[in-house]
Amino acid sequence: MVRLIISIFFIVLSCGVSAQQYLTKESEISFFSKAPIEDISAVNNKVSAVYDAETKQLVFQLNIADFIFPKPLMQEHFNENYLESDKFPKSSFSGIVGDINENSTVKGTLKIHGVANEVEVTGSLEKMNDSVIINATFVIVLTDYKIKIPRVVMYNIAEEIEVTVKAELKKI
Amino acid sequence: MKRILLILLFCQATVFAQDDLLQLLGDDSSYKISSTFKGVKIVNGQTVELVSKGDLLFLIQHRFGTLNSGGYNLYGLDNSQVRFGLDYGVNDCASVGLGRSSFLKTIDANTKIKLVRQSKGEKSSPFSLVWYSSVFFKQSIWSDMQKESYVILDQLSYAHQLLVARKMNSNLSVQLSPTVLHKNLVTKGETHDLLSVGLGARHKLTSRISVNAEYFLQLNEGESINPLSVGVDIETGGHVFQLHLSNSAAMFERAFIHETNGNWFEGDIYFGFNISRVFTLKK
Repeated sequence: MVRLIISIFFIVLSCGVSAQQYLTKESEISFFSKAPIEDISAVNNKVSAVYDAETKQLVFQLNIADFIFPKPLMQEHFNENYLESDKFPKSSFSGIVGDINENSTVKGTLKIHGVANEVEVTGSLEKMNDSVIINATFVIVLTDYKIKIPRVVMYNIAEEIEVTVKAELKKI
Repeated sequence: MKRILLILLFCQATVFAQDDLLQLLGDDSSYKISSTFKGVKIVNGQTVELVSKGDLLFLIQHRFGTLNSGGYNLYGLDNSQVRFGLDYGVNDCASVGLGRSSFLKTIDANTKIKLVRQSKGEKSSPFSLVWYSSVFFKQSIWSDMQKESYVILDQLSYAHQLLVARKMNSNLSVQLSPTVLHKNLVTKGETHDLLSVGLGARHKLTSRISVNAEYFLQLNEGESINPLSVGVDIETGGHVFQLHLSNSAAMFERAFIHETNGNWFEGDIYFGFNISRVFTLKK
C-alpha cells in the first residue's frame, strides 16, 4: 500500500512538472525615449520570464539595476532619481495571453516603481517544439507609474517611453 | 492510509493551485548597492565613489575666507582658495586624478581602487571598501630653508586611505576613513608619519538634495585642530553642487587633516563650494 501511495505521489508529481511551462532568465527588455535634447536608451539582458501553455499565463520579472545605459551617469540617475531602485528593486508583469498568433494580445498587471497598472499589450507569441518566442513593443507613460521628471530636465526626458521585449523561453 | 494519500494529493494540489509563476523564477535578488555618496568627495575627504569607466570628472573646489573676518572683507568673500581637479575612470574599479591647489601651490596626483562593493544577495557584502593613495608636490619655495641638501623629493608628501562605507538605507550613508600621511620633509621634532581617522556621513533629504558632514580625528599629538565640515549637496543632471562650511580652507589631505588652524567656536569658518561636471568620453 505504501508503495502504491508513493508511486501515485510520483505520478502526480511528474504530471505536475510536465505541465507545459517555458522559462528563461536571459530575455531582453530595452527602452527608448526620444526627447528634444537627448535620446535615452537602455537594455536589460537578465529578464526572467515564464509562460504556462495550459493556463496561458505569462510572467516577466527584472531587476531595475540590471538596465545598462550607454552613459554611466544616466544609469546612476535612472536608479537613484527616477526609478528609485533602492526602494523598488524589481519590476514585473503578470498576465494572460489571448489567441496565440502573430498578433497576440496579453492582458495583465505591469508593476513599475511600486505602481501596478492594468495593461494590454499586442505582440507576437510563437510556439515552437521546445520553445516559445515572444516579441512585443509597447509604450508606457511615466506619470502612470509616478515617475517624476523635474522641470529643469523636461527637455531631456520624454514622457512616453517605448519598451521592446524579446524573449525565447525554453521548455522545462 | 487513505488519509495519508489524501494529504499527499492535497499537498500536490496546493502546490499547483498557486498559479504564481513568479515562484518558478526563484528570488534572485542579488544586486550591487549604488550611489552610496553623490560625488567623489564628502566635502574635502574622498568618498567610496569612483568616476565611472570612461568618464572624466572636472571638479572645481573653492573656499572663501573666514566668516569672522569682518564686513570689510565681506565676511570672507574677498579671499579665496581654489583647487582644480580632473578625475578619469580607467575601468570599473580604478580611477586616476590630477589636481592643483592654490594653497601652498600644491599639485596632487591620486588613484582610487575599488576593492569591495556593498551588495545584496548571493555575493553579499555589508560595506564598500576603496583604497585611495595620493602624492602631493608642494611647489612653493621653502623660504627659510635650513637644510643644505634640499632636493625635490623633499617637497613630496603622501596620503593613503582605506575607505570603508556602508549605505545603511536609501537615505543614510556612513563612512570611516583610516588615513596615514607621510611627509618627506619635516621640521625638527615633527614626525614623518601622521595617523588620523575620518568620519563621514550623508543623509538624503530628497532624491537630489542631501546633507553631508565630515570629521577627521588626528591620532598624533599636534597643535592643529581637527577639521569639521558640514555641507549640502545639490544635484542637477550632469552637475553636483556642494556648498559647505568648514574650519579648514585647504582641499588636499595633507593640509586639511593636519594643518587646519580654524576654530569653529571662534568663528574661523570658511564658506566654500565644490562643483563637479561629468563628461562622458568613451562611446
